[in-house]
Amino acid sequence: MKKHNYSLIFGLILTGIILVITIIGQFWTPYDITGMNSMARNQAPSLMHIMGTDNFGRDVFSRVMNGCGTTFFVALSTVAIGCFFGVIIGALTGFYGGLLDEIVMRINDVLLSFPSVLLVLIFISFIGTGKYKIIVALGVMFIPSFARIVRSEVIRYKSQEFVRSAQVMGAGSLRIIFVHILPNTVVSMLTAAAIGFNNAVLAEASMSYLGLGVQPPDPSLGRMLSEAQAYIFTAPWYAIWPGVVIVLIILGFSQISEGLRAISD
Amino acid sequence: MDKELLKIENLTIGFPTKSGIHTVVDHVNLEVGKGEIVGIVGESGSGKSMTSLAVMGLLSEEAQVSEGSIQLNGQELLGMSREERRKIQGKNMSMIFQEPMTSLNPVMKIGTQVGESLKLHTDLDKEAIRGRVIEALASVGLRNPELLVDQYPHEISGGMRQRVMIAMAIINHPDLIIADEPTTALDVTVQAQILNLLKKIHRDTGSSILFISHDLNVIKEVCQKVVVMYKGVIVERGDAKEVLKHPKHEYTRKLVASMPDQVRKSQNTKKLLEVQDLNVYYKENKKLFSSKDKRKHIIHGMSFDLYEGEILGVVGESGCGKSTLAKTIVGLNREYDGKLEMDHLKPQMVFQDPFSSLNPARKIGWILEEPLKLKGIKDKKQRKELVNQMLTEIGLDPSFANRYARELSGGQRQRISIGLSLMRGEKLIIADEPVSALDVTVQSQILRLLLKLHDEKNLTYMFISHDLNVVHHMCHRVIVMYLGRIVEMADVDELYDHPCHPYTRMLFDSILTDEEKETTDSVTVNEILPETVDGDGGCPFYGRCRYAGENCLSEVPTLTDIGTPGHPHLVRCERIAYGEKYTAAD
Repeated sequence: MKKHNYSLIFGLILTGIILVITIIGQFWTPYDITGMNSMARNQAPSLMHIMGTDNFGRDVFSRVMNGCGTTFFVALSTVAIGCFFGVIIGALTGFYGGLLDEIVMRINDVLLSFPSVLLVLIFISFIGTGKYKIIVALGVMFIPSFARIVRSEVIRYKSQEFVRSAQVMGAGSLRIIFVHILPNTVVSMLTAAAIGFNNAVLAEASMSYLGLGVQPPDPSLGRMLSEAQAYIFTAPWYAIWPGVVIVLIILGFSQISEGLRAISD
Repeated sequence: MDKELLKIENLTIGFPTKSGIHTVVDHVNLEVGKGEIVGIVGESGSGKSMTSLAVMGLLSEEAQVSEGSIQLNGQELLGMSREERRKIQGKNMSMIFQEPMTSLNPVMKIGTQVGESLKLHTDLDKEAIRGRVIEALASVGLRNPELLVDQYPHEISGGMRQRVMIAMAIINHPDLIIADEPTTALDVTVQAQILNLLKKIHRDTGSSILFISHDLNVIKEVCQKVVVMYKGVIVERGDAKEVLKHPKHEYTRKLVASMPDQVRKSQNTKKLLEVQDLNVYYKENKKLFSSKDKRKHIIHGMSFDLYEGEILGVVGESGCGKSTLAKTIVGLNREYDGKLEMDHLKPQMVFQDPFSSLNPARKIGWILEEPLKLKGIKDKKQRKELVNQMLTEIGLDPSFANRYARELSGGQRQRISIGLSLMRGEKLIIADEPVSALDVTVQSQILRLLLKLHDEKNLTYMFISHDLNVVHHMCHRVIVMYLGRIVEMADVDELYDHPCHPYTRMLFDSILTDEEKETTDSVTVNEILPETVDGDGGCPFYGRCRYAGENCLSEVPTLTDIGTPGHPHLVRCERIAYGEKYTAAD
C-alpha cells in the first residue's frame, strides 16, 4: 500500500478505546451504577465524579461506561440480524432474479421509503417495549438496506466469468452464491455494517429517549439523554457527556467505514 | 526547410517509486519525416504508449520526463505551457485512441464531437463547421453523414466509432496523426478496412502518421519505417518490411517467430462429441409487466463431430454465435434443441478474459482445489498435492497457490485458467478465445502450453478464435461460422489453400500476412459493411456477398460436400452447389 489509511487507523483506535472502557464498565465501575446518593445530586464534574452526577446522585461516568455496553449490544445485535437476513435475501434474489426478486425488491422499496423510526414505532406498538423487542424491531428495519447492497453486488459478480467457470466445473447454485460470490462482497458488507452500526446506535438512542427501549434503572446512552432533559440548565453535564460519547462512537465507526471504502476502491 | 516533422531526442521518462526512479522510456531517439508512416512495435510495458503520450502531452502527473526533447516542426514541445500546447493540439497534431467504445463522449452528439477542434481552432461559424464535419465523416467512408452528425455514439457500431474517431483526428488536417493501437479492439474484417482507410488518408492528405501497435502484421501492412521497443529502449529500427523479414535483434526475432509450430493430425476416429441439428436460443429475461416470452434464434441447425485428440477451430466475426456454441456445449446455456451427445464427459472451458475468470476473493490454491472438492476428493493433503502437480505442469511454481489472482500477470492467469480446466481430468476442453486478451509474445507461450498439454494428456480441443493465423497453426480442422450457421468446414490445409465460401474468402482477404497480398494494394472487402441481417429465407450472407446472384435470395443454401472421401469439405453456397467455381480473378 502506498498511502496510509489514516481514516481506518484513527477509527480503529477511537473505537478500540471506547470498546475497552465499555468492556471494563460491564464488570467494574468507579461507583455503583444504580446506587443513589442524595448527598451528591447534580454535582458538576470534579475529581470525585469526572462527568458529574445526576439527579439521583449517581455517577454519570459509571453509568456511561456501563450504558455504552447496552448501546453496543443493541446496535451489534441489530446489525447482526439485519446483515444475516439481508445477506440471505439479497444473495438469493440477486442470483435468481425473476418474479421473486421483483416482489421482494418492491417490498424493500416500500420499507425504505418510510421513515424507519416511524416503522419501528408501529412495530413496537404491536410487540411491546423492552431491550430485546427493540433489537428485533430495529433488526427487521435494517434488513432491506443490507439486502439491497448484497443484491447489487451479487448481480455485479454473477455475470463474471469466474462464476461461469464454477458452473462448468459443476458447482451448484447455492455453493456458487455462498462460497464463490459472497467472499467478494465482504469489504462492501463491512462498510455497510459500519454505517448500519451508526444508524443503529442513533436508533437505539432515539428509542430509549422516547422511553420505548431500555427500561430504567438500566443505563443506556439514549435513556440518560432523555432523563437529563429536565436538568439541561441546572446540570448540563448530565446531557452533554452521553451525547459526546454517542458522537465519538459514531465518529469512530464512520471513519472505519470510510477507511474500508478506500480499501475496496 | 527541415524535413523532419517530429523529432524526439534522448527522451527519458520515469516514475518515482520507493526504490528510486523506475525508467519506462530510456533515451529514445525517433524521427518522423513529412508524409511518413512510422510504426512503433513492442509489447505492453515496452514504453511505446508512453512515448506517444509524451508527444501529445498526455502523460500522467506522476510521470517525470528527466531528459530529452520533442520537437514538432522545430518547435520544442516539452516544457511548453498548457496554453501554447492547446494551440498545437488538435490543429497540428491529433490522436486516434485504441478503445472506440470509451474514447467518444457518450452524451455528446457525433457532429459536436467531431467539430470540436474546428470550434476551438478556427473562426468558422456553425454552418461551416457542420459542412466540414459532414465532409470529414464522408471521407472516412461513413454512409449518411448528414444523419450521423445528430446521432450519439451508442447508436453506431464499434467499427463506425473508430471511423468517427479518425474523422475527428483528420478534420483539421493535422501534420501528424498519432494512432495508438487503432485497430486492436476491432474484428479482423473491420481491422482491414480501418487500415486501408488510414493508408488512404495518408495518400490523400500527406499527413505523417506515428503508428503504435503490438501487431507485426498490421505494422508491416501500414508502415514504411518501424522501430522496435523493448523495456523502454529502441532495440531495432529501419525499413518496416526489411526489419520484419530479416530481424537482427534477438527480441525482434522472438516477436517475428512467436508463432508456434503446427501439430500433427491425429488419426483417431473415436467421436467425443456429436452435434446434430443443434438450434440454440437466447431467452430474454422475463420482466414483471411484460407477457411476451421473447427468444432469439442464435444458432441454426448446426451439425458436426469432434474426434478424440482433435483440435477443431471455430472462426467467425463477433456475434456469429461461436461463444454461444461454446457455452451450450459446456452446459451454460440450456435453451437449445437438437442432439448434443458427449461420451460421459463434462467438457471444461478456458475463458477469454483472464481477469474475470478467476475469483478475486480466493487464493489460486483454493480456486484450483475447487474442482477436486466438487469431484468428491475429501483428502485435503491429496488435493494440495494435485494442485502443486498441476501448477508445475502449467509452468508455474507451486508457491503460486498462496497468491491471489490480482498479483498475477495476464499470461500467468491464463495458465491458471488452463490448469483449472484440466483439474477434473476431463479430456475435452473448449477454449473460447484463450489468447486474444494477451500480448503477442505471451500469446505464443500460452499456445505452446496448450499444444504441449494436448500431446501429453491426449486432450481434445475446440478452439474458438477470430485470429486466423492462430487457428491455422493450432487446429486440424476448421469450422467457419456466419450468423449462427456453418458456412464452411474442412481440414485446415484444405480450407486455407482452397477457401470456397465467399465469406471465408473475405475473412482470408483481411489477413495481412500473405506474401502475395503485398502486390495488391486494396483489400477486396466491401468498404462499408451493410447491416448484418438474417436473410428472410435467402442466403444469410447475401447482403455482403460479392458474388451474390438472384437465386441466392430464394432459399437458405444447404451444406454441400465438395471434398474427397475421408476429407469432407462442406460449403454452404448456392453457386458452389451448382458446380460453379470462383476463379482467382474474381
